[in-house]
Amino acid sequence: MLGYICKYTPVEIFESMGETMKKIEPEVASFQQADTKMHPNICSFAKGVLEDVLDHDYDGIILTTCCDSIRRLYDVLKDEFPDKFIYILDVPRIINDAGVRLYEKRIIEMMEDYRDFSGKEFSEDALEKVLKKIKEEQEPNNITPQKDKIKIGILGARANQNIHKILRDHHVQVLFDDTCTGLERKILLNKEQVFHSYCTGLLSQFPCMRMQQASNRDRLLSEQFSSVDGIIYHTVQFCDNYSYEYAWLKQQIKKPLLLLETDYTKQSYGQILTRMEAFLESLKKTPEKMTEKRKAGIKSMYVMGVDSGSTSTNAVIMDQDRKIKAFSVVRTGAKSGESAQKILEEVLKKAGITKSDLSWIVSTGYGRVSIPYADEDVTEISCHGRGAHYFQPSIRTILDIGGQDSKAIALNDQGEVTDFVMNDKCAAGTGRFLEMIARSLEISIDELGPIALKSTEKIEITSMCSVFAESEVISLIAQNKEKADIANGICHSIANKSYSLLKRVGLREEFMMTGGVAKNPGVVRAVEEKIKSKLHICPEPEIVGATGAALYALDHMMGN
Amino acid sequence: MSAVDTVIEFIRKQAMEHPEKSWGKITAGFKANKIKTKFLPNKNLSKGYQQLENMMMSLIADSLGKENSYVWGNIFAPCEIMNCFNLKTISIECMSCYLSGYHLEDFFIDWAQDLGIAPTLCSYHKTFVGAVESGVVKVPSYAITTSLTCDGNLNTFRYFQKTKGVPFTLLDVPYEKDEASIQYLADQMRELTQRLSEQTGIPFQEEMLREQIHIENETRKELKKFLKLLMIHRYPGQIISYLYLMMGMHLLIGTKEFLELVRFLVKDIQTYEKFEGKKILWVHLLPYYQESLQEYFNGNNEYQLIPSDMVLDYTGILDEEHPFEALAEKTIENLYNGSYAHKAEILCKFAEDLHVDGVIHFCHWGCKQASGGSILLKEEMKQHHIPMLILDGDGIDRRNSHDGQIKTRLEAFLEMIDDDGGNTTC
Repeated sequence: MLGYICKYTPVEIFESMGETMKKIEPEVASFQQADTKMHPNICSFAKGVLEDVLDHDYDGIILTTCCDSIRRLYDVLKDEFPDKFIYILDVPRIINDAGVRLYEKRIIEMMEDYRDFSGKEFSEDALEKVLKKIKEEQEPNNITPQKDKIKIGILGARANQNIHKILRDHHVQVLFDDTCTGLERKILLNKEQVFHSYCTGLLSQFPCMRMQQASNRDRLLSEQFSSVDGIIYHTVQFCDNYSYEYAWLKQQIKKPLLLLETDYTKQSYGQILTRMEAFLESLKKTPEKMTEKRKAGIKSMYVMGVDSGSTSTNAVIMDQDRKIKAFSVVRTGAKSGESAQKILEEVLKKAGITKSDLSWIVSTGYGRVSIPYADEDVTEISCHGRGAHYFQPSIRTILDIGGQDSKAIALNDQGEVTDFVMNDKCAAGTGRFLEMIARSLEISIDELGPIALKSTEKIEITSMCSVFAESEVISLIAQNKEKADIANGICHSIANKSYSLLKRVGLREEFMMTGGVAKNPGVVRAVEEKIKSKLHICPEPEIVGATGAALYALDHMMGN
Repeated sequence: MSAVDTVIEFIRKQAMEHPEKSWGKITAGFKANKIKTKFLPNKNLSKGYQQLENMMMSLIADSLGKENSYVWGNIFAPCEIMNCFNLKTISIECMSCYLSGYHLEDFFIDWAQDLGIAPTLCSYHKTFVGAVESGVVKVPSYAITTSLTCDGNLNTFRYFQKTKGVPFTLLDVPYEKDEASIQYLADQMRELTQRLSEQTGIPFQEEMLREQIHIENETRKELKKFLKLLMIHRYPGQIISYLYLMMGMHLLIGTKEFLELVRFLVKDIQTYEKFEGKKILWVHLLPYYQESLQEYFNGNNEYQLIPSDMVLDYTGILDEEHPFEALAEKTIENLYNGSYAHKAEILCKFAEDLHVDGVIHFCHWGCKQASGGSILLKEEMKQHHIPMLILDGDGIDRRNSHDGQIKTRLEAFLEMIDDDGGNTTC
């Protein structure tokens, strides 16, 4: 069996020579082996393929010269498996006669090498049979849009199976998947010139970003956009090719666009799930007009929203008139389930009601799926949007900095999420980062903000990575710099990160900051200076998400 | 703050506050630096490197100061062809370097990332994208890129074709090294001359190209002499001097002025005293701003850097009778093209021939093709008993590399080769 990855691989040639071909779709637990054989900053897909090849018994691997990382993957595999058929096929970037000629020549050379390796011969007749069979089995690609479903298009780098699974689970119709994994192979079969027509068809497939013919791509894409509600633009960590197209599309098209980066590890599932669910929720457009739609007959009722974050678990009980009856905040312990139970008891006690009085419970936050008593879960992005709109309807941009992530959310005048970006891969710019620094400064996290306000000397923390930044802080301590000045430098470092997120969703006034870090006056001041505008801070900024969740629960009860 | 620093700070602020109105100030700054490097050259540099610095400042100042006198290129674009049309080639990687002289790289990189450009992309490309998109850098009427050596090339140039309407030619460099690949690329180069002829109204003269190929062969021959002499004489330079040498070898190769300069380097170095310290072969880009590296390699009597793959990425002799095929062959045979095993083998031979004491491979942030092979190179060097250090950092963005970490690794490595120069890799 030979493994391959690229759509420009002449799979059918090998099949016609009697070989079994397997498209490698890595899903790995870690890059432990790959990081020692390649550099950690190589594209996650290439590293995932290396892990997959090291763990499986392929007779050979066919790669193409598709990108820098794959070229280096070839070098590593060739070195690692000198006795296997490790081959890199040079694919021209220019699709014209000269390009096709060179491509044909390279494929012939590959077939000869493979013949020498395996003893298997190539014949055009056998190839024709394989191609005929494929053409007979290929179904016309006419997907009819279904009215009752959200319709999505997928673009960018190869979309892995998890993306499709999440969409299927949420009953979303995928109208097109133009990534390398979603496209049907273009098979040209001219009986007079079987091999030549096959090579021509393969090279002139829907072009990926390494090909010169991008204008074709733009035209083909724009024809598809009108039929979908939104587009998921997928990129792979450390693969940069597609971000150019994303940046361009973002300026060009009006359709909602989600940038989704994955790294081919099993662990990334949770991260992509939150982003995709939030995106799908934003496409549903649930208008906040409950009072008009309220069902008659409901006199007295309580609902609850519970936000299970990495640092705190927060709950809000709301009545049928959208009034907050009680709220509570507890620290999230090692097990989110225990904190969930604790907060339930605490908030019920504060409200003076029992669990049976709660008509519907919506969970949100990082641990939303681990709340056993919740009836429904909604992402924290949608909930923060609803919550912020509830407390201050004029809010158009939210900055939420929690324990382990930070996000910027854009809202319309209805409180609906129109765009969002998240940072949950890097500790820099999160509450956890502040905790790390507070420890280095030997102060409590609650002291860091007030101390920063006393700063007299401006210190710039330039490192973007939290590990580097911590080293920088330790160097500053060694230089005997004042704690207040270092703390203020850190607050500005968080503000710079936040500004970058806010800018990506549009920087529209008015602004609200939510999450635990909103209680830090040093960060608040630094962000306000950076955005040159005031931040609204709720008296309890940690309960904005839980309030949004309670509003979703109320929606459910009102039949919205 | 010195007068130079005050001017840099003023231009930096202007660019950040009024990006679209700052181009004149940016180019004026380059012109001022051109004059400064001519009349007040850096005293810590040898005469040859002083002249080189002035030549490279003149290239950027003169080109950007005159509309339609230059095209954008990437570092491997064949400047010899552009020279036939009186066009200078300003590589976007080098342009980013020049702009970082104003400490603007962080502003531009953030600008590009805010647009959605991947943070993991090469910092040179991000700087350039931000510089153009922010409105600071004016666009030329044409651009030429090769697919060698990184994925960013085609994508950056295509991006500006879409957003700024800058037409460009892609020279697709095949991976395999044979006659079919040479013809494929040579034909693209011929087509490029037609495009440039249409663009400039200047007819192409093959004789001019032949003349440049002749000069280029001479230049490369002289450069090889210079690199060997670097092993013998202490030749005061700074990290940035090697960057300038790399730029010259790619953007001015084929010109008489650059040949004369390299000839002068060969003559001048022989007037300097013998070098008794350790010789370090440097592989890939040089982070000229890094304090610890400056401490050890800027005018240090104990260590001298020997530039390698970026300066001498092709060692053959070009066939003057067939200039297009010669240029195609040069590009295809470039060290950065093809398999890394080939590159590792040549670098090992280079290191052995020059009897260097150690090798440092710099892994520039975002450069997958170089980083991805660093471990293979380390293995190859190990087999040849040549000590080697891999340093991670960023050639341009100071925020991406931590000087303390680089300092520890570098000092430990130098301590080891100072001890016995034994079989060490780190």
